[in-house]
Amino acid sequence: MIRAPAIGTSAAGGRWLARLIAVLAIVLGLIGCGSSPDGIVLWHAYSGAEREALETLAAEWNSAHPDAPLTLVAVPYDAFADKITSAVPNGNGPDLFVYSHDRIGDWAAAGVIEPIAFWVDDPTADRFQPAALSAMVYDGELWGLPLAVKCLALFYRTDRVTAPPRTTDELFAMVPASRARGAYPLAYVSADLYGHAPWLSGFGGSVLDEHGAVKVATAEAAAALAFSKKLITSGVIPAESTGPLVGTLFNEGKIDMAIQGPWFVGDIAPGVPWAVTTLPIVSETGRPASPFLSAEGVLMSARAHDKQGAFAVMQFLASDHAAVLRATRAHQIVANVHAYDDATLAADPVQRGFRAQLAHAIPIPATPAMRTVWTPYASALAKVQTSDTAPADALYDLESELRRYAQTPDGAR
Amino acid sequence: MTRATPPHTGAQLRDWTVASLFALVVALAVFVGHRNHALRARQLELADRAAAEIALGRPPIAEAEAAGIVGAPHPSATHPFLHPRTVTGPTGTRPLGGPSAPAVDKLLYDAAERYDARGPFVELASDGSGHAIAARPGTGGVAVAVIAPESPEGMPWLIILGALGLGAVIAAAGALIGGAARPLGLAIGGALLAIPANGWGGMGATISIVCASLAVTIASGRGTLARAFAGFRTHRVAIAFLAPASLAMFVLVATPFCVGLVLGFFDHQHGQWSFVGLSNFGEILSGGGRAFDDPLNFWFILGVTVVWTAANVFLHVTIGVALAMLLRQAWLPGKGVWRMLLILPWAIPNYITALIWKGMFQGEYGAINALLHAAGLDGVSWFSSWATAFSANVVTNTWLGFPFMMVVAIGALESVPRDFYEAAVVDGATPWQRFIHITLPHLKPALGPAVVLGSIWTFNMFNVIYLVSAGKPGGSTDILVTDAYRWAFERGERYGMAAAYGAIIFLVLLLWTVFGSRIGRREDKS
Amino acid sequence: MKRPRLYLQLLTYAALVVAAAVVLYPVLLVVKKAFEPGRQFALSASPIPTTLTTEHFADLFGARGGHGELLFLHHAWNSLVAAILTTIVGVSLSCTAAYALSRMRFPGHKAGLITFLVVQMFPATLLIMPLYVLLDRLGLLNSMVGLVLVYATTAIPFCVWTLKGYFDSLPRELEEAARMDGAGAWQTFWRVMLPLARPGIAVTALFSFMTAWNEFIMASTFLTDDSRYTLPVLIQSSVGQYSSDWGFFAAGAIVTSLPVMALFYVLQKFLVGGLTAGSVKG
Repeated sequence: MIRAPAIGTSAAGGRWLARLIAVLAIVLGLIGCGSSPDGIVLWHAYSGAEREALETLAAEWNSAHPDAPLTLVAVPYDAFADKITSAVPNGNGPDLFVYSHDRIGDWAAAGVIEPIAFWVDDPTADRFQPAALSAMVYDGELWGLPLAVKCLALFYRTDRVTAPPRTTDELFAMVPASRARGAYPLAYVSADLYGHAPWLSGFGGSVLDEHGAVKVATAEAAAALAFSKKLITSGVIPAESTGPLVGTLFNEGKIDMAIQGPWFVGDIAPGVPWAVTTLPIVSETGRPASPFLSAEGVLMSARAHDKQGAFAVMQFLASDHAAVLRATRAHQIVANVHAYDDATLAADPVQRGFRAQLAHAIPIPATPAMRTVWTPYASALAKVQTSDTAPADALYDLESELRRYAQTPDGAR
Repeated sequence: MTRATPPHTGAQLRDWTVASLFALVVALAVFVGHRNHALRARQLELADRAAAEIALGRPPIAEAEAAGIVGAPHPSATHPFLHPRTVTGPTGTRPLGGPSAPAVDKLLYDAAERYDARGPFVELASDGSGHAIAARPGTGGVAVAVIAPESPEGMPWLIILGALGLGAVIAAAGALIGGAARPLGLAIGGALLAIPANGWGGMGATISIVCASLAVTIASGRGTLARAFAGFRTHRVAIAFLAPASLAMFVLVATPFCVGLVLGFFDHQHGQWSFVGLSNFGEILSGGGRAFDDPLNFWFILGVTVVWTAANVFLHVTIGVALAMLLRQAWLPGKGVWRMLLILPWAIPNYITALIWKGMFQGEYGAINALLHAAGLDGVSWFSSWATAFSANVVTNTWLGFPFMMVVAIGALESVPRDFYEAAVVDGATPWQRFIHITLPHLKPALGPAVVLGSIWTFNMFNVIYLVSAGKPGGSTDILVTDAYRWAFERGERYGMAAAYGAIIFLVLLLWTVFGSRIGRREDKS
Repeated sequence: MKRPRLYLQLLTYAALVVAAAVVLYPVLLVVKKAFEPGRQFALSASPIPTTLTTEHFADLFGARGGHGELLFLHHAWNSLVAAILTTIVGVSLSCTAAYALSRMRFPGHKAGLITFLVVQMFPATLLIMPLYVLLDRLGLLNSMVGLVLVYATTAIPFCVWTLKGYFDSLPRELEEAARMDGAGAWQTFWRVMLPLARPGIAVTALFSFMTAWNEFIMASTFLTDDSRYTLPVLIQSSVGQYSSDWGFFAAGAIVTSLPVMALFYVLQKFLVGGLTAGSVKG
């Protein structure tokens, strides 16, 4: 038998519900809506040592400029670019943000970033390496100041490799000794255009032609694809690898060398002896394997409310003093030329190795067309490496696919 | 048809409220539009006048924040992208630019740059600050003037409240007088806001307010309004119960949903939107001019998605229900511990577990192949053929998804009274018969929604496919939602195509649900 | 209690052990990574760590923000508030809606039910940008209110449908009896129907909590002030463009799953309580 509920009207219950909703509304309201901080807001996707270096710099700025505080916001990398693209046009974005240069074309076309040539004079521009600075230029305009550059280089275990290979023939010669130890001579992210790019340029190929249009189906690119397949079939590299796997294999001695970037330094386990040098020369062509260069810079939002103040912060972050701090604390390969006047910094093996490689690095084209290439090219690489597809066929399919993506709906190009 | 009840003031005021709500919305909207337009026109006119003065060599007008003749650029020898200019004002010539230049100077500089590229103009600054900028040819360069932003006038609350108050009084008076004065009072009282709205929005606003007021009066006279309110009263409990959820859903879900649907009719490339009608849909549904077994053909991807959904839902429900039934047995000790263990895949963030599964399927070093080797079998290259990559995705998603179905099934099984089973055993029913005739019907009400919603979620499951197989080999294990994502973020920000894709996904699911519920209803009837 | 034959018992145990092993293996790999030094996963397939370290947990709990504040506590608190509010708002809005849809007949009730279902069908990943703009217009960007509302509306359709199913399965005689005793609609709902739907509420509460607790994409998109970030955003920050700190991520994943496990432990009572605690007989 059900216990009889207290007799009451539905109005009483309705009042209870209304009260609950009112309380909830007040509570939620008190928790508050968004408020924007004053001063300059800078978004970044750094973690670890790079983040600490940036925070040290921000603290320095804040103690020197208490009236114009700099606020750093760490945004996860996955969401970063999309957040910028949606936030800035709605007026909610940061005043400055740190990102690599390859999206500059997209953002410039969409009016998300502000050209800064107005504030930059010759002495300021002379501070930077020409390659890094030119990576921040798109369509004849300067869009940001470069902070650091990243590219791939050859890491090797000094306990396994006494003399790193200078040509790809020497690389193939390493196979028997390594395999006898149950290891591979080399590993890198093979099914990815970024990892494959050194070979592509080593064979004389490229992704875009001189007019900036996508042109991937060339004989040189096919030769590079065939080469990457040969690396697998000859036992130079494992059949599939991802970034984390390369790190694991290097630490556990299952590979002797790895093609990785400056970030790899933090991934190497303590106790593993290592060194870094430049990538070998491709024996078939005699050209050096040149990786993609990615310049990380600080960009200004087109909707920044205090653009002059924002530029002052940009100047500070890209100053020589800040560059030395970033180079020493965060092992960044900085874009400031004079940072390397410091002998200890110049002698640091990581800095030296990467700077030598930078002489042969090609900036990633910042055109919007380039960004459509990465995923399909990775697909083509995977197809060639794991099946019998001929490289020329894979590239031909790739080119027609890319042409389809670039098509405007009425069929015109 | 019943006539309206004899007039009384309360009903009149209620009807007046309906009419004036509409009038208020229209009046506010046209006021805001008028205010913004007037402000913009004023700013632009000032800017144009200021630039004209500068071009004629006269001193700048008072309202100009900055003005002058901007000279031609002198590109730097070493850095061709640096092209500083100078500006000539009443105080002489000074350089434009440099590290400590004020922000308003940049507006002058940008205006001159834009003039060189596209000719003279008068416009509001594109950074949303409200500055008005004009550029026209001048002696020795470009005459540019920048007008400071002005805050718009405030809302005319006094006028609005006055009109509303007067309207209420008129409507009430008409009701008290009675007879023909009642509808007259309602019509006039409801339309009073048309007078100020005329000043803000012209005849269009006036006519719409008057028409609305007339419509409400007619409806009131015919009793429609009274019936509608009576209906609300009858169902007020249901409405009160439903309203909060519906309101939240309507605002936060329906609105982006409609925007998403509408965007499918546009194309977005290189930052520009353009209306393309059904072109996106045509491109997708025709398969992009590719063969049916090409992974980039929509129909191929649709097929993969359907197989993906069916396989996953089948496995999730089977495993979930089986485990729930195992855990229901009265003699089993430590049920709580088993339940906690089996819910782990749901509790741990799926980003890291999906990547661990991906690592486990790695060809040379992965745990799955290590297990196969230990069992004496050959390793499998999981991501180089469609069937194996698809299986890897299904295994991972099943691992992630069965706890949810298990929990729902546990809850659903609780609704089955145990004496039914005992009675069935006494009657000699086999376990299978007991399952079909007792357990299953009791499971359906609670498990049904989980299955329906679960299949919708699986159809749109992005994470697992993207993280585990990433579409390998060659995009063939991509499902519709990952392909849509690629259109949006990897193929040049083609948001229009992605939105069209989303709309098609939606239609497919809708058709399937309608179809499925029709079949279900037919089964129930038979 | 009557025990079935031995082989059936063994079969049950065998099935449960296999299921637990399959479930636990990847989880143990995560746990192992959380306690082993280094940023990368080890190659070994064994789930037992070779060296133990607490450095990842130290990094996780000790991470400090720009102003020296402890990030973990801040973000955990934000996550907790968001998840609890989502659960309250989601469950309460869904309970009433589900009851109305189950028991009351009014024009458009079938359409209402289907609408809750239909709005789930548009893929959420594509709706983030329009939702961003909408929240901006409503002034709900970068706020807990906005986030909770978005999470609640994500969870509501499932909650409404499930609770409707539970209410449907409850016999109507209960309400008739309550009405004869003089209870109004709200009293019937609150005193009679709701307690009997406890398993349904437990499921929907757990579901709402988890929708909010583990969600990362919307939190990182709609929050622009890193003092308002939730825990998944903190953990995801260890995944960089080129390299990730998997030790940190693993430690974060384990810590993040503990409250969910605790909640499930508490809710288990309600999940399996059901009608055995009620009063249907007679």
